[in-house]
Amino acid sequence: MCIIDIKTIFVTCGATIPFPKLISSVLSDVFCQELIQYGFVRLIIQFGKDYGPAFENLVQEHGGKREYKNIPIEELGCGEAARQYSLMDGKLEVIGFEYSTKVQSIIQNLSNLVISHAGTGSILDSLRLNRPLVVCVNDSLMDNHQQQIADKFVKLGYVWSCAPSVTSLIASLRASQTEKLKPFPVSHNSSFERLLSGVIYS
Amino acid sequence: MKTAFLASLIFIVFTAYVVRLVAILPFFHTQTRTEKETRDGGSVVRIQKSSQKPLKIFVFLGSGGHTGEMLRLLQNYKDLLLNESTVYVGYSDQASRQRFVCFMKDFTRCKVQYFEFMKAREVKATFLQSVKTIIGTLIQSFVNVAKIRFAMCGVPHLFLLNGPGTCCIISLWLKLIELVVIFLDASHIVYVESLARINTPSLTGKILYWVVDEFVVQWQELRDDCLPRAKWFGILV
Repeated sequence: MCIIDIKTIFVTCGATIPFPKLISSVLSDVFCQELIQYGFVRLIIQFGKDYGPAFENLVQEHGGKREYKNIPIEELGCGEAARQYSLMDGKLEVIGFEYSTKVQSIIQNLSNLVISHAGTGSILDSLRLNRPLVVCVNDSLMDNHQQQIADKFVKLGYVWSCAPSVTSLIASLRASQTEKLKPFPVSHNSSFERLLSGVIYS
Repeated sequence: MKTAFLASLIFIVFTAYVVRLVAILPFFHTQTRTEKETRDGGSVVRIQKSSQKPLKIFVFLGSGGHTGEMLRLLQNYKDLLLNESTVYVGYSDQASRQRFVCFMKDFTRCKVQYFEFMKAREVKATFLQSVKTIIGTLIQSFVNVAKIRFAMCGVPHLFLLNGPGTCCIISLWLKLIELVVIFLDASHIVYVESLARINTPSLTGKILYWVVDEFVVQWQELRDDCLPRAKWFGILV
């Protein structure tokens, strides 16, 4: 496990569809209070396409103030588009942006804990980097793969999962600070490699 | 007399094509290959034996999650797949192409060629819209597939597919080209079903199950419950 000087939680909604219920739950006073209690100082949110104005409104509703200091632009991979706020009387720093080309580097270099939507890409990003992960299932999507994959990974002990609600998020946050996950197995498989080369050179 | 001649001619041609079809469809010959493979004693021998001719590989990038899984597959098996090979990349969105360009920066010894494919089916398209785009895609993709297929003649090659609807069209053209061009060696197609598919195969998967040389799933229950001929090696991405 890496040592990150600023205890940071990273919330990612995936590249394509925004996930408003997750964002509003994460920005709720109760959840932020809980974060502070567990020593988190920074909250990084990748909120998805075209959700910027709504995000701005949400933060301001919760008393967030725009700030302009030491954003780790290089590591965020989102250009100049990142916005920074101070929340909960300056006890929590919030950084938000639409999209990042360096999600993996954010996870590896900046995050102690990740909350992600239940897309396989986002799940693998965290698990392959051995970062503890809470998976939040988007129940407003019309396909149940996300639920299935989340349930499966919970059953195998690789992640915690929650619904996009404040109480459910808090329960998972508590679990993440007190329990340990099972290690995710490595992906290289020599039988599959043999099968591939068998097909190639047949 | 003339009709009898014509009928028998048609019959002979028809039989020839049925025989050809049987020859190119995978489920008639997969068994023999696995046996041969075990006798040869694994991949190391194979790779060394054929190392004079670099691999030509085709991958299709779907979008978002499919592209992500494909990049992970290539990364995990880079020694086999990206070792001075020529990579033909099919894509239908710019974001995937960009991700691939970025990914290939680490593999400068590979040659890369990009081919744009129209999307076979938008995620939320109506039936009529789907029919329209599918016909458009059919025509445009044939040109691409034919180019790629003939570039792969006589060298070790692989078509690695993993999801979106366009993969069906690509496989269909591949098999059709093989059916018509009798002297062509069989195209080697491996399909890896998405990690998101735990209990039921995708529509693409259901179709390609009957077409591809090797069908690989990432969950045991998917193989056991739905696709007994599929192979399962655990999570590969």
